[in-house]
This record gives sequence, structure tokens and C-alpha cells, in this order.
Amino acid sequence: MRWWVFIPVLALVLTMDAAFMPACSIGGHVPQLWPLLLAFVALYASRGSALWAAMMVGVWLDAMHPALDTSGATPRAVTVFGPHILACAAGAWCVLETRTWLYRRNVLTVAFSTFNCALLASLAYVAIAGIRSAYADSSPLWGDGSGGAAVGSDMVDALYSAVIAILPAWGLQSSLTVWGFATAGPRFAGGNRMNRGND
Amino acid sequence: MPFVSSRRILVIALGGAALLSALPQSFQTPWSGTLAGVLWAPLVPGASVLAWARDWVRAPAEPYQGLPEELRAAREDRDRLQGELDATQMRVEELERELGELSGYRPADRAGWQPRLATVIERGAGRPAGLLGIDVGTAQGIGEGDPVVVGGNQIIGMIAAGGAENRSWVIPLDDRRCGRIDAIVLTGAADGASAASEGTGAGGKKADKSDKARNGGGASVLVQLVPQGNRRLIGELESPANVKKGDSVLLSDAGWRPAALGMQIGVVESVGALDANPLRRRITVRMESDPLRVPRVVVKVRVPGQGQGARGTGAPK
Repeated sequence: MRWWVFIPVLALVLTMDAAFMPACSIGGHVPQLWPLLLAFVALYASRGSALWAAMMVGVWLDAMHPALDTSGATPRAVTVFGPHILACAAGAWCVLETRTWLYRRNVLTVAFSTFNCALLASLAYVAIAGIRSAYADSSPLWGDGSGGAAVGSDMVDALYSAVIAILPAWGLQSSLTVWGFATAGPRFAGGNRMNRGND
Repeated sequence: MPFVSSRRILVIALGGAALLSALPQSFQTPWSGTLAGVLWAPLVPGASVLAWARDWVRAPAEPYQGLPEELRAAREDRDRLQGELDATQMRVEELERELGELSGYRPADRAGWQPRLATVIERGAGRPAGLLGIDVGTAQGIGEGDPVVVGGNQIIGMIAAGGAENRSWVIPLDDRRCGRIDAIVLTGAADGASAASEGTGAGGKKADKSDKARNGGGASVLVQLVPQGNRRLIGELESPANVKKGDSVLLSDAGWRPAALGMQIGVVESVGALDANPLRRRITVRMESDPLRVPRVVVKVRVPGQGQGARGTGAPK
């Protein structure tokens, strides 16, 4: 995978998630584009590249979503690195495990993987936050309400993200050659991968 | 990329992430905020442009939408002055109580405030949810606990500690993590407001709701509110309190900055019986502005050494 392509696209996607996607909110549910990018990369890149990409997405998500420490007189926004990194790795792993039986060139496959990726990332995040809340955090990292409610809300978000993802997924599929994925050649077979040094 | 293909480094990195995830916040606090600021910095210009695009695509829920600009500005100015008047009245009442009790004179808090206009550049999609990111920070004098308002006197939240030089986080008022909030309900105001709003448009009806404090002349009822999310806060009242739907609710919490006192939280949306305690009633307060849909906010920044309400000549930003 070409990292010089991935990083600017990641920056664009995260900026859109932070600033633009709330324009598409319905009933408080906001679609997000990072699961789409991560699912797309995980569908085509090598296992190692996909996990590194997931960690990179996770670092930025942790930076963008501070937790709230309510133990002091004034609640304090605290950036906690780690939970999103593991959550994104879990989301990417889910796609990596399922991609062998999926027809990757279909945009609906990318949307389906987006849903899987977002949902598993949410489950992992809430699980980590739940464990942390037992000993480290004054209030759970997921915010208001119970963990089950958070997962339920995230499930709707994931579904919405998958629906919204169809159009950009088509764009990403069209740009497949630009990304230089090892597994996205015209006639990919396992042996071809050995000769690709750009992974 | 050779380092990327190294499985061992990948495993070590994931292990490091797991370790960071497991450590308490205090282990990361000294450096994580700075690192987050550095990571966020390259995205700020794009976020500002996209925030403008977002507001263009979907009109934000600003107060007094649909009114001409001049009228809107006048109403916001009126609301701001109303907020200052309410705050001053509360302060006078407090002083009167203190004098009445002869419990020793406590000098007034003369810390004033100045407005800082800020653009909402990030909203709480994803986890943790709820916080709003704004494009002003400690470099502009923003401090923890500063109240955040829209439309002159509608308070929508407070600044969380841990902001960066050019970025701060706002905790919406309807977020449970804001904690319990002491407030007063201005009773007998809804009737005056509805009467005053007759004959005006939709924007005028909304606007004139804030007339209740000055027209109603009713009593104020203390209530402690608990944020419930989705623009709502709930509280319990003694049954005899004459609170009605549409009454205005003002912040009156000593734990907040003086500049926040008297700001309007919202209006009473419903008053119902409390099954668990027949002597008390439950009220639901609805914020008039949706924190998740405001494009710009004003932070009331503390300026030491000035009188309460002594404002600057205008928004410096």
C-alpha cells in the first residue's frame, strides 16, 4: 500500500468526520467515513499494512475524541491514547478475516465491510472502556448512558455509515490502482504477491 | 515499507497500545494533550472550511432564525442585557440575604467577562460522545469553567479543563457529566410571554419567550436539574410550586462562574406527578438551542479586575 496516498486521504476523511458529517445527522446519529477507509484498506492491503493503517486511524481518533475526567471540580478533557487504536485494530481484523469469502470489487461489499468494521470497533471500544471504568475512569469513556445503549447507538451509526459509504466506496474502488495494493492486481494469485515490494 | 512489514514491531506496537489503554488517565495527562494538539493541528484549516460547508449544506439551528439581521441582533442584545439584569438581581438578592443575616460582609466578586466568538469545528460524533470542539483556546484567554452562550443569554455549556492553545472543548449543558445544576424557575412568566408573542411570527414567538422574566413578575422557584441528554434536564419540585409549561429556567449555581449566573437554560417543557413522592413534582426543562447544531458560540471569558457585566467594546475575535 502506498502510504503517501493513505495519509492524505486519512486526513481528509477525519476532517470530514469532525467538521462536515454532522450535516448528515438524522436523529442524533452521525455517519462516519473512517470505517469506510479502514474497511477499504483492510479489504485490499496486506495484513500488516491494514493493521498499521488501523493503528494510525486509532491514534488520530484518540486525539480527536478526548474523554472527560469528572473527578475534579471542573470536568477535564483528557486525551487517552490506546482505546481507539485497539478498537480500530479489531475492526480491521474483522474485515481481514471476512475478506477471503467476499467479492471485493462490489461497492456493496465495501459498505458491508464498513458496517462490520464500525460495529466491531465499537464493541471493542466499549469493552475497553468498560474495563477501564472499573478501576481507572471516574465516568465511562463512552459517555452518557450504559454500555449496552452505547453499542446500540453505535450499531445504528454503523448502519448509517455503511449506507452513506456506498457512494464514496465507488470512488475508492475507481482509484484502486493509485493505492498500489498488493492484492488488487488484475489477476491476483497468491504467488504474485511475492514479487510486490510496495506493500 | 520494511518497518511496516515487520510483524514483531507490529505486535510490540499493539502491545504498547494495550498498555496505554490499561493505564489510568493520569499517566497520559502530562503529554497526551500536547500530542493530540499536534495531531489535530494539520486538520484545523480543512475543518474550518468544511464547517462552513456543513453550515451551508444544512442550516444551523441559530436563535431567531428567519428574522432580519438587524432585528435578530437587537433581540440578541436584548437577551444579553436581560441575562445581565437577571444575574445582577440574583446578586442583589444574595447580598440582601447576607445583610439580613448579618453574617459578615463578603466583597462582591468583581471579576467581569469579555465575549470571545468561537466557531464550532468539531462535534461529538463517535466515542466519547457529546463534546464540542471550538477554535479558541488558552491563547485567547479561554479558561476552564467559562460559560458558553448563544443568542445573547442562552447558555449551552461550559469549557472543560484540558484545552490547548487554539482549541477548547465544550461540555454541553445536557450532558450528564456536567453534573447537577442549581437553577431557578421564573413562575408566572409563560402567560405573559404567550400574550406578548401573539401576532408575531414563529421567530417572534420564540424570541418573546424571554420576555417573561421582565413581564411576568412571578416568584422564582429553586430547583436542582440533572442533565438527561437530548437537550433535556429534569428536576424535582415541591408540589405547591406554581410552575407551568413555558416558564423560563435560569442558571443559579454558585459552582459556575459569575458570568454564567442568570443565563437562560431553557423553558419548562412538562410538569408531571412524581409517583415515588406525591409531595413533589417532576419537571422537564428543554434547552432552547441544540448544542449539537450551533455553528458559532460566545465564550464569556473571565477578565479579572473588572466589574461584573463590564464588557469589552466588542468581540475581539
